[in-house]
Order: sequence, then structure tokens, then C-alpha cells
Amino acid sequence: MATVTYDKATRIYPGQDAPAVDNLDLTVEDGEFLVLVGPSGCGKSTSLRMLAGLEEVDTGAIRIGDRDVTHIPPKDRDIAMVFQNYALYPHMTVAANMGFALKIAGTPKAEIQRRVMEAAKLLDLVEYLDRKPKALSGGQRQRVAMGRAIVREPQVFLMDEPLSNLDAKLRVSTRTQIASLQRRLGITTVYVTHDQIEAMTMGDRVCVLKDGVLQQVNTPLALYDKPANVFVAGFIGSPAMNIATFDIVDGKAQLGEASVPVPTSVLSAVSAEDSSTLTIGFRPESLVPASSDNGGGGIPVTVDLVEELGADAYVYGHPTGPAAAEQVERMRSEAVIARVEPRMAPNKGDKVVFAVREGESHFFSAKTGERIEP
Amino acid sequence: MTLTEPAGAAPAEETRRQRTQRTRSRSPMKRGMYPFILTFLLPPVGIYALYMLSPYIQAIYISFTDWSGLTTDFNVIGFDNYVELWNDDQIWTALRNNLILLVFAPVLTLLLGLFFASMLNVGGKRRGVAVQGVRGSSIYRIVYFFPQVLSVVIVGIVFKYVFAPESAGGILNSLFSFIGLDGLTQLWLGEPSYLIWIVLLVMTWSFVGFYVVLFSAAMQSIPKEIYEAALLDGSTRFTTFRRVTLPLVWDTVQVGWVYMAIQAMDGFAFVHIMLGVHGGVDGAGDVLGVAIYREAFSNNDFGYASSIGVLMLVLTMTIAVLFMRIMRRERVELA
Repeated sequence: MATVTYDKATRIYPGQDAPAVDNLDLTVEDGEFLVLVGPSGCGKSTSLRMLAGLEEVDTGAIRIGDRDVTHIPPKDRDIAMVFQNYALYPHMTVAANMGFALKIAGTPKAEIQRRVMEAAKLLDLVEYLDRKPKALSGGQRQRVAMGRAIVREPQVFLMDEPLSNLDAKLRVSTRTQIASLQRRLGITTVYVTHDQIEAMTMGDRVCVLKDGVLQQVNTPLALYDKPANVFVAGFIGSPAMNIATFDIVDGKAQLGEASVPVPTSVLSAVSAEDSSTLTIGFRPESLVPASSDNGGGGIPVTVDLVEELGADAYVYGHPTGPAAAEQVERMRSEAVIARVEPRMAPNKGDKVVFAVREGESHFFSAKTGERIEP
Repeated sequence: MTLTEPAGAAPAEETRRQRTQRTRSRSPMKRGMYPFILTFLLPPVGIYALYMLSPYIQAIYISFTDWSGLTTDFNVIGFDNYVELWNDDQIWTALRNNLILLVFAPVLTLLLGLFFASMLNVGGKRRGVAVQGVRGSSIYRIVYFFPQVLSVVIVGIVFKYVFAPESAGGILNSLFSFIGLDGLTQLWLGEPSYLIWIVLLVMTWSFVGFYVVLFSAAMQSIPKEIYEAALLDGSTRFTTFRRVTLPLVWDTVQVGWVYMAIQAMDGFAFVHIMLGVHGGVDGAGDVLGVAIYREAFSNNDFGYASSIGVLMLVLTMTIAVLFMRIMRRERVELA
């Protein structure tokens, strides 16, 4: 059991100017399940590999517990890692794979057997212990990789996209298994994924990275409710948040015919930074159909596609009206997405006016992209 | 079997074609399949039979005769050649030398090849990188492969000079004199007990590069993550080599072993060029290949030479089968 601390840790790959991980400051609490998430190339895997000791730390430090592990070799860090392709030893049986680290460490045979059996029971692998990896399915291999980590009883688990090689259905069930297993074992875990749904459902806290820079770290709900900047807002949530840059006109945010009310505190923040534009985001569920005669507010949209999911229906549309071209240009998302009642969903080609629910808009500075709290 | 049938076996061919047509007439694609395949198969099989199999069979036949190789007439003399073989001390020397090569050449060559290949590919140690070669490995890679580019003849001639007396341009002796180790100078090729070991040394030198490249290719195909996993599991470089790298390149090692064993059973070019047709001083460096050549072209006794050849054929095949048996393990797939 231990905490993990990144202290201004930086990794610059040789021959490159931009750091892959830039001054990462992050603390993972003891027993916490922390998810590193971000688009590909954001430095999440590099961060994990720095912690594993597979990647050098150019400046800064990494600590496990109180121990500075920045420059100590991987084997002395007391960590176990689950790789994306599992990296099982193809020539060893499942049992030998799981017991390899213990065998090298000189653990007595009986003890190895006991711990392997324990992990195998936990992961439902007992009947496969004598098989080689090639005779296992993808899900079973994944569990063996987990087992290999568990048997070590390390201070920290590292998982590098362990579910990305599984099919969609298996991924969902394994997701919950891993999360509950981690809670049962209570071992500090750092989990890397590019899938924000995985991040939201598994993590105690989620850390969003972009271009090697930490964007925000908080509980999944806090990320969803109060994204720290435009990037986090657009990245977290599925379908994605609608984001566009609006002009401030007469104390309202205007973009063509679309208009959104803005609280005065936000208006003063915008004028304080000497700007006349404001980036506004609203989630699909924050949009409600409005009658077009509610005082000129709302966002007129032509429906391109309706996704019927049974419980929900999502409307994908594009802005209409005389200023549509400008609106499309100012939008950060591909389409305007709104969640509607599935029994009352509009048809393709319909023109619908959406209004944003009171208090559910997210405001961001158009200059810095930072959140402006109303 | 039927594939090697000469054209004279037309009736059998005819009936088969009819049968083929009857059973497969529903599928027009398959109607002409057998003749089509045979057209492609027969020429290579025929050429192989004519130039590879028939000499073997002829050699076996000749080994039971007293044919000199120069005349048209000869007598079948039964097992006389084999009896002579059994009583010929020189053949026993050659056989002993071949066995020495057979035991030591593959071991030495493959061990060195594995060692160098692992150094070039996975032996390096730098902080933060799991798998890489030692510093300058790309240069070593080229250097190791050099001997493989040289023809065996050139290798033989060069090493003849290396081990020659100083007056005849002996490189090794000159080197010893130069650095003041005159006591170590020797008439290397004049001492019967050294000869086969010198041949072994030269043979190893010339083949190591090939195995470095062969094993390098095998090691490159092992996923990097497996090494990283081993690193995290606390494996040292040596343990990783023994428990991860070696088992995963074992198939290649096995193939290399058989190939090197066949080289060791031969050794003709090295011995013939470095030591001459009589296998050096007292014939102490003789090998079976050279003995065959000597008996056939020097002593004009093709019958006897053929019997040595048959002995070699039997030995080589036995060894190949034995090795495959002994070294067979479950095939490892990189999952």
C-alpha cells in the first residue's frame, strides 16, 4: 500500500523539443483507483511507463510512498503492470506466467503455488493453469495478465489500456470486474485508457491529459459537472458537449439567431479580460425543445440524424438560419447534439429550436479556454 | 509416388484422368486440375530424381564395386570396400575428427552466435529502456557478418597464412614475436594434435556471423513488451536470456544446430585448403570429405570412395534424425 507522487516529472524523448510529459504534478492516494485519460499521444502511457521505470524521467521526481524511485530500476519499485497486449510469456503455462516473478525472487515453491492458486481462484482461472497462453481466449489472457500482477502483491498496480484488445461486450463486464477487484484488494492503481467511458466508470478520480500537460484531476462526476477548461469539457461525456464561441451582445451570448442567457458574473469576467466573445458549452441533456416564440432565445437546428437508444434519443443536427455558415465555423463540435424524449423525437429534416436549461451552461474564456465560474 | 512415374506409365495416367473426370465432372474448374498440377510438379521432381536421388543410388551401387573411375569395366566385389573401411586407420582418424567437429563446432558456434546476438539485440543496459543492444551494436552486426561474405576458399587460404611459420608469412607467429611472446610461437600446422582444433576454430569463425544474423532476426520478432514484463518481474539480464529469450528462439537454435552439424560432417573445403589432400601432417587433420576426394581422384578408387560416401550419408541422416528427436519441444507461438 502506498501513495504515488509525480513531482514536476518531465519526459522529453531524444530528438524532440516538445516534452511528452510536461511538469506532471499528481498525487495518487493510498488504495485509490486513478485513471489517466486523454487522446492518443497525450502522454498518458508515457506517464505510466515513467512510474514503471520503463521510461526515463528527465526532470522532476516520482515517489512511491516516501521512497524516491525516480532513478531506481523497475524491479526494485515494487510495482506490477498489465500491458495492453498482456505480454504473457508464450512458452510458459498460465501458472508459470503468474509465478514467474516469485520464482525469480526465490520464493519457496509451496508459497508460489499457494499464491498462484489464490489468484487463479479470484480470477476464475483454476482450470486453465496448465495451458499455454495461445490456448486461451482474449478475455482469459487478460485475466492471466491481471493474475500475474496480483500474485506479486505489489504496492502499485499499473494498467496500460488492458481492455482495448477485448470485444465490446467483454470489455464492459471486465471493466466492472477489474474495478471491484481493485476495491477488494485495496491496492493503489494507476490505469491508462483513451476511452472516457472506462475512465468515468472505473476511476475514483480521473486525470485528463492533453499534449503531456495535466488538464484536470477530480472525481468523474466533478469532471462532468465542472470541467476546468474547454478541452476537458469536450473530452468528457458521450455524446460530447456542444461547444461554440458566442458574441456578447446586450448581456446575452449571441451567435447568429442563437442566443443564450449569460449570468452577470460571467459577463464581468469576460469584460475584465477585455474580450467580447465567450465560449459556451452545454451537454446534450441540457438542451430542451423550445417554442420558437419564447422571446427570440434558443438555438434553431435542422435535424440530420436521430439516434434511438430506447431509453434516450439523441438528435444530431446542424444550425439553420441566415447565419448558419458562421455558426458552423464557430462550433467546436461536429454537430449540435441534444437528448430528447424518445417517444417525442423529431424526424430527420425537421427544424427544432432548442433552449439551454437554466444554469446548465458551461462558460469558458474564449481567450484561454479556462472555465469561468458563474 | 505416382508423381515420379516416367511417361511410359500412360495407361495408369489415362485411367486416373478418366476417374478424375467422372468424379469431378460437376466442377468444370477441377476437371483439368490433376494434369495441370502434374505439369508443374513433374519437371522439378524429375530433375531432382535425375540429379539428386539417382547419384545417391548409383553411389551405393558403386560402393559394392572396384571401379577405378577411369575405366568402363569393373567388378562387383560385395562388401569388400566396407571391410577395408573398417580396417583403415586413416578413415578412423577422419571419422574421429568429424565427430570432434560434430560435437564442438555446433556448440561453440551456436553459443557464440547466441551470445553475440543477444548482446546486439537485448543485451544493452541503459536507464529507462527495456530492450536494446549494446553500444555500437549496428557496427558489430556488420563486422560479425563479414566472414559470411567471404568464400570458404578465401577463409581457408587466409587462415593458412595465419598459422604458417613466420618465414612463410605466418601472421599469428609474427604477432607473438612482435609483442614479445616468442615463447608462444609454434609450427601450428606442423603439430598433428593441433590440426583438427585449428580447423574447428576457423570453421567457428566463419560461421558465427551467420548465426548472429539468424538469431538476431529471431530475437527481433519477440515483442518488446515481453522483455518489459520480464524486467518488471525482476528478471536480470541473464535470467531473461535463459528463461525468456532462449525458449522463444529455441526453434531457430534447433534449425541452426542441424545445419551446423551438417557443416561439421563436411568440413571438406577448410581441411583441403588449409591442410591439403592428405589431411595435414600424418593425416591427423583428415575428415571424411577429404578422404572421399583423395580416394576418388588421387588414388583412383571410386568404389572405395563411394563406400566412404555411403558411410557419411548414413551418419549425416542418423544425426539429423537424432537431433530432431532430441531437441523437439512444443512449438512456441508468439501470441
